[in-house]
Amino acid sequence: MNHLVIFTLWALNLLVDTAGQLAFKAAAIEEEEASLLAHWRHMLSRPWLWIGVGCFILEFVLWLAFLSVVPLSQGVLLGMMSIVLIMFGGKLWFNEHFTRLRVVGITLIVLGVALVGGAA
Amino acid sequence: MKISRRQFYIAGFLFLLVMDTFSQVCFKIAATHAEPFVASTEWLLRVVMDPWVYGSIVGYIGAFLIWMTMLREIPVGPAFAASHLEVIGVMIISVPLFGEHLNLLQYFGAALIVVGVGCLAYSEPKETDGSKHA
Repeated sequence: MNHLVIFTLWALNLLVDTAGQLAFKAAAIEEEEASLLAHWRHMLSRPWLWIGVGCFILEFVLWLAFLSVVPLSQGVLLGMMSIVLIMFGGKLWFNEHFTRLRVVGITLIVLGVALVGGAA
Repeated sequence: MKISRRQFYIAGFLFLLVMDTFSQVCFKIAATHAEPFVASTEWLLRVVMDPWVYGSIVGYIGAFLIWMTMLREIPVGPAFAASHLEVIGVMIISVPLFGEHLNLLQYFGAALIVVGVGCLAYSEPKETDGSKHA
């Protein structure tokens, strides 16, 4: 399978996974309502939760497509890159902090993914 | 029977790992059955008709239930690690099941990823906070 197809499917998976997780986070932190029911009703009436669900469904299909062009163990390892993107997203949109340990973790994952993908 | 907190953690970790690994294995089998991949309705139909796809959904639901149960009891950091360490299960099972082999450099890369996930898990706030990984 040509490398462009593999790379495109990988990038799309990462994009959709990251977008979905950030959308769920945005849905979850909407202002707290008095009751759990009211909180859910509020979340359901706003787009974030639905964007998250849409991304999740899309990712399901994209993941199947990705796994049909790469071995499972490599696919799962390369997919770990989404953790890094989600962390950057969290920093950008939700002001989550990058502690030193997190920077170390992110760096190790990026290096690891580069090795798994690059040495294939 | 009384189980200790420690046993609860370990059992939770293992169940989560098994569920996530099971999901991924089902995904791979379904993807293989639906080959060749082409961005088309025919491919999508082949995927939807394959029973293994539903195995992966069962695995997802199982993992979700375990995840939510664990989050009530343990800090989000270790839970986060557990929810990503299925890479280890997948790497082990892929050898006998799919005859997959990583080369030495890739194993080194995999080790870096696992240690990286460990760092991120350890860096999470120590209190239970379910909203972070909603």
